[in-house]
Amino acid sequence: MDTSTTVTQFVLTEYLSGEGIDDLDPDYDLIATGVIDSLGLLQLTSWLQEEFEIPVEMVGPGDFRSVRAICRFIDEAAPSASMVRGAER
Amino acid sequence: MSAQGQVTTDPPVAFASIVDAIDARVAGLPASPALIWRDGAVTYAELGAMVRDAQVALLGLDVPAGVPVALVARKSPRAIAFILACLATRRPLVLPPVDLGRAALDAVIARSGAGHIVATGDGEGLLVTKTGAATPPREQRTASAAPPAAALMLTTSGSTGLSKIVPITREAIDRFASWAGPHFGIGARTPVLNCAPLNFDLCLLDVWTSLAWGASVVLVDQNEATHASGLLELLQTHNVAVVQAVPLFYRLVIEAARERPCRVRSVEHLIVTGETMRPAGLEALSEIFDRAVLHNVYGCTETNDSFTGEIDLAEVRRRGIVPIGRPLPGVHARLVAPDGTTVTGEGIGELWVSTPFQTPGYLDPALNAGRFVADVDEDAPERAFFRSGDLIRRHPDGALTVEGRDDFQVKVRGVRVNPHEVEAVLQEHPDVVEAAVLAVGDGASGTQLHAVVHRRADALLSGLVLRGHCAAWLPLAAIPSRMSVVDLSLPRTSTGKLDRARCHELAEIRPSRPSRPLTVLTPATAR
Repeated sequence: MDTSTTVTQFVLTEYLSGEGIDDLDPDYDLIATGVIDSLGLLQLTSWLQEEFEIPVEMVGPGDFRSVRAICRFIDEAAPSASMVRGAER
Repeated sequence: MSAQGQVTTDPPVAFASIVDAIDARVAGLPASPALIWRDGAVTYAELGAMVRDAQVALLGLDVPAGVPVALVARKSPRAIAFILACLATRRPLVLPPVDLGRAALDAVIARSGAGHIVATGDGEGLLVTKTGAATPPREQRTASAAPPAAALMLTTSGSTGLSKIVPITREAIDRFASWAGPHFGIGARTPVLNCAPLNFDLCLLDVWTSLAWGASVVLVDQNEATHASGLLELLQTHNVAVVQAVPLFYRLVIEAARERPCRVRSVEHLIVTGETMRPAGLEALSEIFDRAVLHNVYGCTETNDSFTGEIDLAEVRRRGIVPIGRPLPGVHARLVAPDGTTVTGEGIGELWVSTPFQTPGYLDPALNAGRFVADVDEDAPERAFFRSGDLIRRHPDGALTVEGRDDFQVKVRGVRVNPHEVEAVLQEHPDVVEAAVLAVGDGASGTQLHAVVHRRADALLSGLVLRGHCAAWLPLAAIPSRMSVVDLSLPRTSTGKLDRARCHELAEIRPSRPSRPLTVLTPATAR
């Protein structure tokens, strides 16, 4: 499963039960429409830490406005995460 | 509260006006931080200079006397300076919620009569839009003996675009600040956290009272207000001594402290307001803030704070609920039974309350009927009581606890929401036949709204489309957290009213028809 599908599935399962995967546009504004509220944001950030092994300090109040924005964040954060792990070895 | 309502002496006025008091801090504490913002501080001298700049900009707008301006801005030192400039020049200022849908925001500003919408960005200067409709507030146009002019106009957290505009006078702010500073230990250089956005009535304490007493206000950036570990760090870095917030904030802090256990020993006063917090949450708070006195504050935008009390954990454990406390100095309160009589002993009644800090009435006088009522029993018929709509129980020992609402209102994340009004907004969508909005209790995140929507027979309506529709007309908290779109009529009682209990069952049903027409997959979309 590619990143976009993984993120879309997570958003649908956790916040939008009952909606179809084809209905969620990658640019749909998840914040302005109340899909992800502040507690939801907490849940999302801890999921990002676990699922993509992004270090806690990097998962700040990033731009999580849409599925596309979340994917962009993962793309930017994940490679450096693997570099950090590599340096520790 | 006594049988006839509590009568206490009016609070002493510690200073004539917060504007003068802040001027005195600018002169007396020039190098002391007034605002802590991001990685820097704005001293009182710098704040004073920013206020003067804002006054010049305000004069440049050339607005006729008495006509309000509206500020639509996220929190920043510049926005605070602009508000202070309005207070200093007696320019009525409308502060609508920043996250209101665009259509609802326009409606609020139009009703306020504001001629200019001002936005403050990160840079210098103001972004100004003319609305084309500049009128002094209605109360000033019609009343022969003009009531004291509004200094700030806040809005109630009404769940539709028809949220009510609540004018607050300078005198009311002065009286409140005089009482609240000493009561919560706010003095010169006290680090006070401000978490609420500037349009919230909470700022009357943590921003305006704090500045009047020379405190250092540690501003939570609205973009980072949900970044829990950042909030904890902010408290620790700046040795915050006073915190006022709604339970949602504290739940975030508890969550963060669970991942990274810590104690925040600088906090001396911790104020819970907006809605009641569960005993388990209070226990967790008292462990993190182990040196703080926990206060419960009860109030609303119309009256500002009316009751407060220190939270006694042993008592909360015993009762299972936090009492609202005792009336503040100068507050008159009574419990009124449905038949209009005053509940004198043990029992339940609607809380009627009159405070020295309350609004003279909604900006639209038509809304005051039934909400602001003259006191008939006492010797001060001019005193207006605000009908809170809260049902309060007086226990045998005299303690008062919130029992519920007398109308159909719930609190979602500290915001008062009327599910009927959310239903009305949903029903305005052309593809909606009927809608029910249900308040569902949830241990983790408090009350949530679930909408069940019956769509038109040929419509391909989805919950996502409805969310977009709601976002244009409702504040965030009023957008249902769950939307169930069904192709069935909603259950009704024999008298034709929505049967909400049976609607709950429908909320679990999926639509029988997709929300989009099935399309033949082409190689491009079938990727």
